[in-house]
Amino acid sequence: MVEKVKKLPKTFQYFKDEDAFAGGVAFCAGCPLELTLRLLSRVMGRETVIIGTPSCSAPVLYGQNVGAWHRLPYYSCLMTGVASSATGLTRYYKKAGKDVNVVCFTGDGCAADIGFQTLSGAAERGEHFIYVCYENEGYMNTGIQRSSTTPFGATTSTTPVGVAGRGKTTPPKNLPLLMAMHNIPYVATTTLSNVDDFARKMQKAMEKKKEGLAYLHVFCPCPVGWGIESDMSIQVCRMAVKTNYFPLWEAEYGKFRLTTTVANPEPITKYVKMFRKFNHLNEKELAVIQEEVDQKYAFLKHLTEFGEHGQTAETPASE
Amino acid sequence: MAVKKFSTKYEAAWSDADQLLLCLDTGTWRTKRPVVDKEKCTYCGLCAIYCPPQCMITRPDFFEPNLNFCKGCGICAKECLRGAITMRPEGDFTS
Amino acid sequence: MKAKQGELKVMTGNSAAAYGAMLCRPDVVASYPITPQTEVVEQLSRFHADGTLEAEMIEVEGENSAMNAVAAATLAGGRAFTATSSWGLVYMYDAVLQAAGFRAPVVMANVNRETPGILAVSSGQQDMIQTRDAGWIQVIVENSQEILDTIIMAFRLAEDYDIQLPVMVNYDGFYISYLAEGVRIPAREDVDRFLSVLKTQPQRTIMDPTRPIGAGSHGLMTEFMELRYRHCAALDRAKKKFDDIDKDYGDFFGRSYGGQIEEYRTEDADFVILTSGSAVGTSRTVVDAKRTEGVKVGLIKLRMFRPFPQEKLIKAIKGKKAIGVIDRSVNFGWNCGPIYSELRALTPEIGNIPILSFIDGLASIDITKPHIERVIDDVANAAKGKPYQAVTWIPLEERE
Repeated sequence: MVEKVKKLPKTFQYFKDEDAFAGGVAFCAGCPLELTLRLLSRVMGRETVIIGTPSCSAPVLYGQNVGAWHRLPYYSCLMTGVASSATGLTRYYKKAGKDVNVVCFTGDGCAADIGFQTLSGAAERGEHFIYVCYENEGYMNTGIQRSSTTPFGATTSTTPVGVAGRGKTTPPKNLPLLMAMHNIPYVATTTLSNVDDFARKMQKAMEKKKEGLAYLHVFCPCPVGWGIESDMSIQVCRMAVKTNYFPLWEAEYGKFRLTTTVANPEPITKYVKMFRKFNHLNEKELAVIQEEVDQKYAFLKHLTEFGEHGQTAETPASE
Repeated sequence: MAVKKFSTKYEAAWSDADQLLLCLDTGTWRTKRPVVDKEKCTYCGLCAIYCPPQCMITRPDFFEPNLNFCKGCGICAKECLRGAITMRPEGDFTS
Repeated sequence: MKAKQGELKVMTGNSAAAYGAMLCRPDVVASYPITPQTEVVEQLSRFHADGTLEAEMIEVEGENSAMNAVAAATLAGGRAFTATSSWGLVYMYDAVLQAAGFRAPVVMANVNRETPGILAVSSGQQDMIQTRDAGWIQVIVENSQEILDTIIMAFRLAEDYDIQLPVMVNYDGFYISYLAEGVRIPAREDVDRFLSVLKTQPQRTIMDPTRPIGAGSHGLMTEFMELRYRHCAALDRAKKKFDDIDKDYGDFFGRSYGGQIEEYRTEDADFVILTSGSAVGTSRTVVDAKRTEGVKVGLIKLRMFRPFPQEKLIKAIKGKKAIGVIDRSVNFGWNCGPIYSELRALTPEIGNIPILSFIDGLASIDITKPHIERVIDDVANAAKGKPYQAVTWIPLEERE
């Protein structure tokens, strides 16, 4: 007989409010995006104006005529207009003396492709809102098309595998790194397997947005698009961190810090075999992915060691 | 103009959750349902935290899936460190 | 109760637009430069820098962002202004549609310039024509004083509880934008008083962060149609509202422009010509000259383009023997001028009279007095029953 502990788990302390979403909403079974949105509403609270755009989150964020699927105030707009609408809203609220939490919520397709210009502009101007990008590595809502963050070799409906095609032929954009290069107050990568980390970073973003743009990049695999069994979503997130495929870090004004260090990273093959989108790759192509992951991580590690005055640990100040 | 009656009072496409909060019958989606072994549960809360529809109801000494909204994804069963949750086919149940 | 006369200053049309916007105390101004509008945003930025304009200035990275930002700001409850021209207007087109559909009361100055398709940094009204189906209220003005006055009237119209539609104030780029002339600047407190009637109206629906209200819900089935219907009905109401506002403006400030259209010497005219923008000024002079020769011609100045002032035009044209329309743009697909082709839709009411299309003034080619004299001569012949050419591209025929 096991001891019954009646105290709620520590993670529950991060939750400010009840889940703002209706009990049943249109997300696929096992979709980490549903978890992301519901946790966001619990951690950030009801008075969060959320800006949504055509994407997997749109059928839930947008209402249907006068009905809504959730109790958050929201503003829906096209992918090109997310960061700019947030700009208009926050600037007006500032003028009117209202302290409002404005959060943009988009996928990687909007943030990295069609909406990147406006996101970059808002970051440079230091607008005071939070931009949450959920990374499912493609345009999932429209049927799994490739975006610029889709990894090399991935099967998508616009980079299918056949006699002449081997999946996506180019490596992905490193979007969180690009955002950190804007020198904004806060950039962080996070995922659903580390919920405490996710909640803490959301809370930090709410603080940091008082100084300028806060950007969160949430690794959010797509069970339908990647070919993951519905119960494996969290496991995939966990393995992405364990293989350094998706390292968890944060950067404040361009100063990087790893928030989770993996002592013995697993080989990428362990991650890749958890779902079907890389099934067609041969050993050579998998080796390309492993090298990309290693290089990206080494570069990130180097950035974290970049000291206060532009010196690495080895370079003395006088030189 | 000919039209006199309108179904909403808004001039534009505004939604109002106070007026109408929509909800889908997602409990009808599943083909398997989670069954919790209360004896094995240590109240760690991982099932409740990782459940995508956040449908785990907090009971005094265990977490109970809300079958109105559980989509049967199986994440709770997969993440439970004690194996206290198993996914059983819907066909096994009469309700 | 009358407003003070106001200070007289010499300024360009662009400057007048900036003054007009500044006087209305917008909360948010988005600025992005494009020839021939750039001076508008520069002047507004100077107003902000010297403390005259207390607004949130957003130097956006593209016109698309400009429209998204101002539309969102108005839907949050504020007053917002931006300015653009041709290519910028086209780049912000998705947001322009959204602003109208969301019923965001934005006021935008559009400095008319030729649109993409042929690279041109010159005057033309194609950009206004290009966006005629966006669902905005569109007006077009003749000179700098009218720009300033119309922008003030535009805020009054856009934010009216019965209307709630974005308003585009068009004026000819290069002709009016850069021409310097004397403009009377109303006193700020008088503009406040003129706009204060808006505060007595009910509160329009806005993004309230304390309520679960959402902007831009997915429109389905008959509710979608209801929203389109409401939009069209609001546009229709804007016609009379514009006339009323113009009258109030005249009563208070001493300057009014006739509302949807202005009729110049049309009462006893046998036939009329119709045009818009800076060409109206030249047309007045030619009409006066022709009148001294005994030609009974009248001029109709089109001020409101959207909604199309059907009723007023029918009343002005009915009984006339012919009408000539000078368009500063083309109607792709109908091979004629666009305002001309819209006027033809009124044939059942005005009668099957000769309607002539004249295309002129593209790419800053001057619409000169000889051009307008030719227009009047051609319409005069048509009015007498002589054969006429339906569509005339004046500058191309002139060189032959």
